[in-house]
Amino acid sequence: MALDEVLLASADARPTLRFYSWKPHALSLGYFQRWAELAPRAAGSAVVRRFSGGGAIHHADELTFSIAAPLAHPLYRGEVARSYERVHALLAAAFAELGVHAELRGARALASERAGTGMCFHESTPLDLVWDERKGVGSAQRRKGERVLHHGSIKLGRTALEEGVAALRDHVPGIDAATLAHAIARAFERGARCRFERLDPDDAERSAASERAPFYSSTEFVRRR
Amino acid sequence: MRPNDRKYTKTHEWVKLSGEEVLIGITDFAVQELCSGNEGDLVYCDLPEAGRSLEAGETFGEIESVKAVADLNAPVAGTVVEANIAIEEHLEILSKDPWNQGWLIRVQPRSRSLDAPELMDAAAYEAMISAEKH
Repeated sequence: MALDEVLLASADARPTLRFYSWKPHALSLGYFQRWAELAPRAAGSAVVRRFSGGGAIHHADELTFSIAAPLAHPLYRGEVARSYERVHALLAAAFAELGVHAELRGARALASERAGTGMCFHESTPLDLVWDERKGVGSAQRRKGERVLHHGSIKLGRTALEEGVAALRDHVPGIDAATLAHAIARAFERGARCRFERLDPDDAERSAASERAPFYSSTEFVRRR
Repeated sequence: MRPNDRKYTKTHEWVKLSGEEVLIGITDFAVQELCSGNEGDLVYCDLPEAGRSLEAGETFGEIESVKAVADLNAPVAGTVVEANIAIEEHLEILSKDPWNQGWLIRVQPRSRSLDAPELMDAAAYEAMISAEKH
């Protein structure tokens, strides 16, 4: 979370696509969610709060990605809704390469809807990507000044906290986070006509992120609402 | 044409003189970007307490649509006199009337001048958003 904040604040005009997994597994709350509503589900889990909005995500058997970009970038220019359509089209191309047919939810009702859990994957909007009539990608954005941070989560398998949601292993047995990340990067390069440069955070970014990291799991921030 | 009785920021806030104070809000363009015409898509708005001191450009609040959280930035420096708490319960006001009923905060400004170079008049603001669209 802290490194994503550093990337959001970056002055670099080049967008960053970052992939990560969580150790230990953790529950992340949306920026505006109420702690009291999620506390019963958080028992026994590491908990952080995100800078982005939306519902809670259980980061266990999944791949998390973040995109940090200027709002003037062609992926993000204009309405928030259009940016989701563009990013989700690129993700759908990656899933297609893996043999999974994903599409925008549109007006249909999903089998993954669960009222009142506070979990991102149990609620949906027409712009969410779905397969098997279930929500397949959890996503949220933070817009700050002239930059955007886009968070996404894709389930490889399901956990008890996210029962009923779409999982890639239903169609691609044995797929792991690294294979999925490569497929997404390739789909972005083809669809957004870009070429990624593989980079690790530099010393200044690492140092800023380590200084900031404790804040995201602090009682002050996790229980801010 | 957007109202020319106020100034605009590049992050889509407006500021308008109101007696000795100023009113601050967000533009129809900002609302449209967040919710694409679906007023129910705006879900939360956090506004500051009265008495908070703000610098120009400082984030004074946050607004969340179903798919994005965005900062609200102060166009001018001053002290918050009042937040429009009706907005926190009725976000649809921002879609219906962002220019009058949709004001977010009332501020005692440090200076009553709205002539800072980073503040745009309606024509300059419209030219900026027209360029953003293309």
